Amino acid sequence: MLQAADREFEQATVNTSYIDMRTGPGRAYPVFHVVERDEIVELIKRRTDWIKVKTKRGKTGWAHVSHMGDTVGFDGKQLAFKQAGEEDYLARRWEIGFNGGDFAGANALGATLGYRFTQNLTAEVKLSQATGQFSDSKMAGLALMHQPFPHWRVSPFFLLGSGVIDTSPDTTLVQTEDRTDTALIVGAGAYVYLSRRFVMRLEYNNYLALTSRDENEEVNEWKMGFNVFF
Amino acid sequence: MENGIQRLFLAALLLPLSLSASVQAQDSDEINPGLERVISPDTQRREIRQAKVDTEDFEIGIFYGVMNVEDFGTNGSAGLRLAYHVSEDFFMEANYGVSTTRETSFEKLSGSTQILTDDQRDLSYYNLSVGYNILPGEIFLGDKYAFNSNFYLIAGVGNTNFADEEHFTYNVGLGFRFYATDWIAVHIDVRDHIFEHDLLGEDQVVNNLETHAGITFFF
Repeated sequence: MLQAADREFEQATVNTSYIDMRTGPGRAYPVFHVVERDEIVELIKRRTDWIKVKTKRGKTGWAHVSHMGDTVGFDGKQLAFKQAGEEDYLARRWEIGFNGGDFAGANALGATLGYRFTQNLTAEVKLSQATGQFSDSKMAGLALMHQPFPHWRVSPFFLLGSGVIDTSPDTTLVQTEDRTDTALIVGAGAYVYLSRRFVMRLEYNNYLALTSRDENEEVNEWKMGFNVFF
Repeated sequence: MENGIQRLFLAALLLPLSLSASVQAQDSDEINPGLERVISPDTQRREIRQAKVDTEDFEIGIFYGVMNVEDFGTNGSAGLRLAYHVSEDFFMEANYGVSTTRETSFEKLSGSTQILTDDQRDLSYYNLSVGYNILPGEIFLGDKYAFNSNFYLIAGVGNTNFADEEHFTYNVGLGFRFYATDWIAVHIDVRDHIFEHDLLGEDQVVNNLETHAGITFFF
């Protein structure tokens, strides 16, 4: 028993009538071999929903996870092959997001890194770059996000934060100085859980740039993006 | 259809039978309450645990090729790529690439006019794209070796830094992935980077075609 556990690859005994083995990790690859009940296979690696298995006779091929659920490990326990789902979404800790949209009329691209330390609260680092007709901006910020109803499939959120906006006017147009302003961020939006590790995120942010000029500047940002969680 | 109707009639016939059977079962439970404990099957809960298997859904690699920047010549380009395979069909990819552009023909002909400084001729870009695998297949080498391969369509958005300015950039392309082994792949890509600039006086949308070969590793 111990020997089996020490092996490099997990061994699984087929506990269903048969498992198809394909030549590649895809539904269109031909089935070239069939593993029968009680045969033992080694689980070599996994790519998306496909497991590369090796039989006792040295044949290697790819089996779909939905079939592999009918195998038992060396310890007699049924093997499960994790596919991230809504439970993992609700228990997530880290998330990375990418988004695109409109920043005061300019095209904006952004990235976020979030750490969720309670069900409702997430601390977030935001980076964003906007390329407009007359000027380009770069933003970096820290925000605290609150989700009052984390269990809802469409779950609203509110955020408060602060950051810096670095604006550089188009050099071909005007010769002006770059400027860096501190900004306050107020935002709202919604998380829409899609499937697996993917969440769609819709977001509106209002930046209040505290400029050295007489008037502060307000900027509206609309974004849509996708988050992946771990 | 006929089958369905037959089934319906059968169900209607069986329904009173099963009802009376359950009534009988209830009766016997009431009469002899100990019986249930005796005949209930000795079920064992199935223990389930996660299989220990290494997941390889990330792909990292480098590429080298040529990039044509409209009006600024065709030049060598190089870059890095990182991809995450969501399913057998879809993947997400991040790219970073650099190239150094040449003088425009106008600059060459006029002799002394310079539109850009040397530093401004450097171009770099990054983008985030979604790819869709098409035409999966196998490639045969002699009668001994078979390699998996597929083509993919890819499109995304990003940013190009050129002539000291940022340009919001769309990219679309087609690629070919050849699996030398399960975890090493060779790529050939054709990508169009589309952005708008006003370096030559007026706003113009430029199509910058890049073709590159690369190698990636799954981990």
